[in-house]
Amino acid sequence: MRRLLGSRTAALARKEVIHILRDPRSLIIIFILPLIMMMIFGYAIDMDLKNIRLGALDHDRSPSSRAFLEKLHASPNFEITRRLVRRDEIKTMILSRSIRAAVVLPEGFGESIRQEILTPIQVIVDGADANSANIIINFLQAYIADYSLSLSTVHLQPLEVRVRMLYNPGMKSANFVVPGLVAVFLMMVCAMLTSVTIAREKETGTLEQILVSPIRKHEVIIGKVLPYVVLSFLIGSVILGFSYFWFKVPFRGSVLLLASLSLFYIFTALAFGLLISTVSPNQQMAMVISLVSTILPVIMLSGFIFPLASMPRVLQWVSYVIPARYFLLVIRGIMLKGTEIGTAWPWILPLMGLAAWFLLIAARRFKLKL
Amino acid sequence: MQQIIYILRKEFQQILRDRFMLAVLFIVPIVQLFILAYAITTDVKHLSTVICDLDRSPISRELIEAFRHSGYFDLNHETNRPAEVSTYLDREKAVMGIVIPVHFSRDLKSGKSPRVQLLLDGQNSNSSAIAMGYSQRIIQRFILDKLKDRVRKEPEMLELIHQVDPVMRVWYNPNLKSAYYMIPGIIAILLTMITALLTSLAIVREREIGTLEQLMVTPIRPYQLILGKIIPFAILGYIEFSIAMILAVLWWRIPFIGSIPVLAAFIAAFILTTLGLGVFISTMVKTQQQALFFCWFFIIFALLMSGFFFPIENMPRSLQYLTYLDPLRYFMTVVRELILKGAGFSQLWQEMAALLVFGALIFTLSVLRFQKRVT
Repeated sequence: MRRLLGSRTAALARKEVIHILRDPRSLIIIFILPLIMMMIFGYAIDMDLKNIRLGALDHDRSPSSRAFLEKLHASPNFEITRRLVRRDEIKTMILSRSIRAAVVLPEGFGESIRQEILTPIQVIVDGADANSANIIINFLQAYIADYSLSLSTVHLQPLEVRVRMLYNPGMKSANFVVPGLVAVFLMMVCAMLTSVTIAREKETGTLEQILVSPIRKHEVIIGKVLPYVVLSFLIGSVILGFSYFWFKVPFRGSVLLLASLSLFYIFTALAFGLLISTVSPNQQMAMVISLVSTILPVIMLSGFIFPLASMPRVLQWVSYVIPARYFLLVIRGIMLKGTEIGTAWPWILPLMGLAAWFLLIAARRFKLKL
Repeated sequence: MQQIIYILRKEFQQILRDRFMLAVLFIVPIVQLFILAYAITTDVKHLSTVICDLDRSPISRELIEAFRHSGYFDLNHETNRPAEVSTYLDREKAVMGIVIPVHFSRDLKSGKSPRVQLLLDGQNSNSSAIAMGYSQRIIQRFILDKLKDRVRKEPEMLELIHQVDPVMRVWYNPNLKSAYYMIPGIIAILLTMITALLTSLAIVREREIGTLEQLMVTPIRPYQLILGKIIPFAILGYIEFSIAMILAVLWWRIPFIGSIPVLAAFIAAFILTTLGLGVFISTMVKTQQQALFFCWFFIIFALLMSGFFFPIENMPRSLQYLTYLDPLRYFMTVVRELILKGAGFSQLWQEMAALLVFGALIFTLSVLRFQKRVT
């Protein structure tokens, strides 16, 4: 170790290790909190709406209108919780959040579906939560289209569509979300860990002591980061192991490949934390910056939830500087698709570039302080 | 009273002296708001798609054009070997593949039901379900067009076709812009982060450097000390919240139909709970770094359990109960109902009660714990 790093770097790394181990309470917190979070969110995050509460206003009251509503009620996505009598009830029900949408069947519905080509019905959706409204509309349209086909008396399906869902045939949200959580949490934890290291030394004045010693700038930085690479790798392995054994997320690719590629990711995230640390005048600022700059950008601009391809071009460019973006491809690819090194290596290049960039700025800012 | 004023003066001096901190406090959240607001896209579009058209007839091209015109799919890859389609998906080059079989148009005309295959990348179950919905609707429309052609030739077919045609009406947010409620949500989250973290750090730092003990030997009481610590952040937070809200409503033209004083009252109640959490965290930790990790934990919890990204109704029952511990959950409901639907106190009193009870509880707990740790 010492020969590999040079004695000064090794000494600084040892000092940092002592620093970490001296505070077992923090160490426990750092390991336990992500696990609790995985436990909660692995279950909580399910993006498919089930049992959407619907109101039904049936002006027709015929056997066919009742059959239509009953079938809707029986489908797994919907649940008719309110039978309405008057139209103005829809508004009160939506305002009181008792229903998310209402289906209005006109008078003569039953006759019309037997005789007319098109039978209009009205659907009113609460758009305040645009997210779920979109999904509700999609489901309702699919349901009604299906129903329409069942009405026709001849074989009207002139072509057949077969859908194959690759990689996640059961369409389980957890398979998508849990590896994503690993990537997102790891980025945040790493950045928070190193964001304090140099800022703390600035605050307590020990940085000056280090700077007057013969140690070089890059030795300080390497010595500071290395112990955290080991620590973060352990944290990453624990939460990854948890997601595999507890949530039974498939692991189709090579463990060794994921482990080695995650080292690049961890290193990049730690470098980002270090950059924050050199920019901030004190611990307090370093912490505020590390929290604010990781939580929302990493969750929203990495492809963790929102598909990047649907975003405006400018934001897609912004997403290129977010390390989690690349690691999400790596971890989901290796776990769900069994991606191999041949496909995965181009995703690692930008990570290395980012790490170099973060470290370069950190080193330059560091010199200014001298 | 006099004592609180002394502490307040000290705290204000400390905050206002720190230019860097003020810049971070005011500029960073607003810059982030302006970037992140554009990231909110719940609609799925520009899905890169690989086409494998083995028929290459005018009709198969018609179907492909229908996909292109929908605007949801970018048909940017083409192959003539069906086996190759999945390699595009493997390499993340495409998220959907469409395979049109040989003799597609011949079979279609002779009524033999040719089989079109859709291959979807199911990793993101949400967006792949939406993509599947889009494609099925496109294909259904295509089928309907073909049927109409048939009806033109054999008018007796007409009596056999029946369709239910849903007319969709979206209330309160006809263009389904999720930005309208997510933007106020982002403001709330950014402010929660900053105020909760800074309050807890302000107290923990005094403990770390030992000045807390100096304060404790003075006649100042714990609750006075806590008030002195939180009032500056409450005022700053409130000002910033208001500025950000006004900017957001004007810039994104959020249709604001609710009552401004009611919203102002909710913002106050909400800030109270986040500051309370900051104080509470400070009583649980020993170092600033521990405070950081607890704040992080709390903010992620607040964020993911609030219904901001993921609907609460989907969560298992036991976790739904857990969301009642999340002040952001109430605030998100208020934002949605009040701003877009114009709900008032009569519909939102439960949320107000929940925020106030939460705030009162967390403060009492913090003061109690604070006293215990000092004595």
